[in-house]
Amino acid sequence: MTEILASRSFRGPAAEDAIEAVHNDLDSLWLDVPFVNDMDQMTFTTAVIESASNIVQHAQPAGDRDVELGVETTVQPALLQARVSAYHAKPPFGPMEPATPGEDAESGRGLALIEALVTTVTFERQDGTNTWVLSRTSSQD
Amino acid sequence: MEFSYEVKDSYAEVRADGRLNMVSAPKLREFVTDVIAGGSNRIVVNLENTAFMDSSGLGALIGCLKAARQAGGDLRIAAVQPQVNMVLKLTSMDKVLTAYSTAEEAFSND
Repeated sequence: MTEILASRSFRGPAAEDAIEAVHNDLDSLWLDVPFVNDMDQMTFTTAVIESASNIVQHAQPAGDRDVELGVETTVQPALLQARVSAYHAKPPFGPMEPATPGEDAESGRGLALIEALVTTVTFERQDGTNTWVLSRTSSQD
Repeated sequence: MEFSYEVKDSYAEVRADGRLNMVSAPKLREFVTDVIAGGSNRIVVNLENTAFMDSSGLGALIGCLKAARQAGGDLRIAAVQPQVNMVLKLTSMDKVLTAYSTAEEAFSND
């Protein structure tokens, strides 16, 4: 059975305020698990914020209800995992492949950055909810 | 995130303190655009107190770099912290945004 050592959960309107709230959640999460090294904390935080920001910036409502952002983060002995969800959202528009923008481009690096920061990224679509599952194997040194 | 700036002898130093994310990135662009409009086209963004930057923040820095160059100047960054350095390297943008140890060093040789 999986041992959860610490966790945080956020759900709220997919708006700018949510990004700061999620970031504050992550900062407090690391205080609970000081054995997670600085590099793992830094990379995982960056990946989660990138994913959450992507939802706030790009998720479109599927119907009358506004899109909500959900972020559930868990720390297991050797695994960091986050489920970053867009509730009441249309399926993502366009290719979900990381882009390779030119060096003077001001956007388009988010997906590639996420993939570079975590071990695996998977996408789930269920009941009007898009969820990105980010996992990073923790080195625990 | 809080912004401030100071005009030095050969450049303007912009300080960006806090998290440079999708919320603050447009504000940085606006702030630096105003500094350039005020007559400074050699900009150093001091990131000493920028503990976090995401791809939106990176995009804002690139936009500021382009604006400075369009005004006939340049933009350089200084005192880059570990998380920002990681994002620059993973996106290969460390080759485009020149980082210096201190703001004073950024334009010291030209």
